[in-house]
Amino acid sequence: MSKLFKRTLIIMIVLFAIIAMTTAVSTGWNLYNDLIAEYKSKGSAIARSIASSSVETLLNREPSTVQAMIDQFTEILGVSYVFVVDNQGEIISHTFVPMIPREIIQIKNSTLDTSRDVSIEGKGEFIDISFPIVEGTVGVVHVGMDKGIIFSQLRAGMFRQLSLLTIIFIISVVFAYMFVNKISQPLNKLTDYSRKLASHDFTATVDIKSQDEIGMLAETMKSMAMDLSEVFERYELALKDAIVELQDTLAYLTAVIDNMADGLLVTDTDGIINHVNPALSLMFHMREADMIGKNCRDIFGIELFELVEKSRKHPDEAFTTGIKLAGGKFGQAVATGIHKDSLEAEDVHEKGIGSVILIRDITAEKEIDQMKTDFISTVSHELRTPLTSVLGFTEIIEKRLEENIFPLLKPMDQGVIATIKRIRNNIKIILSEGERLTALINDVLDISKLEAGKVEWKMERIQVQDLIEHARFATSSLFEQKKLEFRQYMEPGLPEIIGDRGRLIQVLINLFSNAVKFTEQGHILCQATKSDNEVVVSIADTGFGIMEGDLSSVFEKFKQAGDTLTDKPRGTGLGLPICRQIIEYHGGKIWAESQPEKGSIFSFSLPVLSALPPTKGKAGFLHYEESEIQL
Amino acid sequence: MQKILIVDDDPLIRLLLEEILTDFNAKGIQISTADNGLTALELIKREEPDIIFLDVMLPQMDGFEVCSIIKNDLSLKHLYIIMLTAKGQEIDKKKAHEYGADYYITKPFTIQDVIRKVSEVLGASSQ
Ligand SMILES: Nc1ncnc2c1ncn2[C@@H]1O[C@H](COP(=O)(O)OP(=O)(O)O)[C@@H](O)[C@H]1O
Ligand SMILES: [Mg+2]
Repeated sequence: MSKLFKRTLIIMIVLFAIIAMTTAVSTGWNLYNDLIAEYKSKGSAIARSIASSSVETLLNREPSTVQAMIDQFTEILGVSYVFVVDNQGEIISHTFVPMIPREIIQIKNSTLDTSRDVSIEGKGEFIDISFPIVEGTVGVVHVGMDKGIIFSQLRAGMFRQLSLLTIIFIISVVFAYMFVNKISQPLNKLTDYSRKLASHDFTATVDIKSQDEIGMLAETMKSMAMDLSEVFERYELALKDAIVELQDTLAYLTAVIDNMADGLLVTDTDGIINHVNPALSLMFHMREADMIGKNCRDIFGIELFELVEKSRKHPDEAFTTGIKLAGGKFGQAVATGIHKDSLEAEDVHEKGIGSVILIRDITAEKEIDQMKTDFISTVSHELRTPLTSVLGFTEIIEKRLEENIFPLLKPMDQGVIATIKRIRNNIKIILSEGERLTALINDVLDISKLEAGKVEWKMERIQVQDLIEHARFATSSLFEQKKLEFRQYMEPGLPEIIGDRGRLIQVLINLFSNAVKFTEQGHILCQATKSDNEVVVSIADTGFGIMEGDLSSVFEKFKQAGDTLTDKPRGTGLGLPICRQIIEYHGGKIWAESQPEKGSIFSFSLPVLSALPPTKGKAGFLHYEESEIQL
Repeated sequence: MQKILIVDDDPLIRLLLEEILTDFNAKGIQISTADNGLTALELIKREEPDIIFLDVMLPQMDGFEVCSIIKNDLSLKHLYIIMLTAKGQEIDKKKAHEYGADYYITKPFTIQDVIRKVSEVLGASSQ
């Protein structure tokens, strides 16, 4: 049974009960009044007839006759007692058995033609109707009508009415039930159906074929369900497509990452490892599960953690560091910050969501590098030993010739003198070329070490003046040989610089000896000035100068400007490249200006203490201080 | 009698040094040679030469080791050691100094380098 019906039924019962009660009460009241009135008139009719017929007998004082007469009236339905009172107020006859009740004696003297309620103990309720005989002169007749009969009649009437109502009610309830059920059954079906639809069961159907509102509702719901199921199907398909596409893309990306030769490491901004690829696991001989969720500081050490920190702080730059891999291998890590463009944070630091680090196994490159340096060092060593013999024995030959042979050759002819002269010249060439070869070997070794970063740098505070003095002292013999004047200008208050003293002196010696080497007459001027955050040292000579076209290449390896066939002094072609390596390591610059036949100016700049790029410079120094040099 | 010992595995270098030092030999200074570290050490202990030319790269025991053994031996400490090496680099100079060598000559060297140093040392010790 539907709830709706239950509720209606309860309301109906309550309503019916109220209606039934009110009708019962009102009919009961009416019936009671009618019955009372009827009994009263009946009673008074009896009383009147007794009164009229009993006048004579009373006057004659024949109570037995009166008694006989009133006795017969008690036979009438509803009459329960009759008594006659005479004008003296004495009850002359009555129908009471066995005696007159007390309550009657109290009312016997009321002569008026009225009625009153009397309740006689042990007998019940009565309506007492009195009628005077001949205007009361003779006496009064009292007739007692039994109220109990009225009540029983009233009860029977009421019972009849209520039973009738109840029967009608039950019948109507049954009808209502049948009717409501007929309405609510399709409603229930619809409710079930809609419940199924709500839980996305579009296979459910409902069979309601009526033409009323419910039928229409069912039809609408059915077509709605069809639309819905179509829409759902379409979305499900689209969703499936999207998922497949997404999975494909993801699989593709994962495949790309997993098949990378380089190790990939992704961390969040705190350095917690979010992702690694198989190459990385292989590099460190570690399982992926042992790395994910851990701090990269604990797993890969402080260097990598610092790299992450740096890339987080400067998301637009890439940072690199060397890192030890498992199995004695060596890797290089490159870190960049990850930031989402869509996030609209003004602060750069806020934008970052982590760092991505690529680690490449550079063991092979390192080995090749090492092999190259080793090779050069071995070659230069192996070259030096025979060179020592060549130079040494040439010198001994020279010495023996000069000391033991040439003095014996006198008196000599012109031919011998010329031959001796040529021998001396030839020996000089062997010696000078031998020395040049020595210089070349030294320079090749030097530059290869500089280029490979295998130089041990001793960085300290230096006065530029001090460097110049040392270089000047080391090259003083060269100046004397060529009889060239050395001039010097020092700007007052030159700041200190930081650098490797020996190496910077090497630069100055190189530049001084070049200046002397390529100058026949005049002077050499060394100037030291400060500008912005730099100290600039320049060496100007009054020599051959350099042709415009050669100027740019003099800092390249083995480039010796001009025609090498002329009798210009010859060097190694490595002096200036070495100078450039040294100066650039210090964060400075080196350059040349020249006018052919007038002279050249070679200058270099060095950053002063306060202007040193703190991170790069410091890291560099640290790095080289820590690393053992292998040559 | 003053003595000079030449220690080098390369016979040409030994010969060269001998040739350079012929003048000293003529003056009665005894010159001997060794071609490896161990023989050199024996010779040094036996002969106690005034000057030892000591190559770095030597078979059996390298020059630095020989040098440190001598310099740690109180009875041999005073012997003048000149290290000879092909590696004319700072690191070897430093190492030579650390091991207690008295002087350092880079290959290739000139006659003058050798003669000057030897006369200097011998002159000082003969006075
Ligand atoms: N002061 C100078 N005047 C003229 N030419 C110079 C000067 N300094 C260098 N050069 C030119 O630059 C070339 C390269 O110099 P460098 O690298 O020092 O090699 P090297 O001095 O051994 O030839 C020299 O060969 C020379 O032609
Ligand atoms: Mg030069």
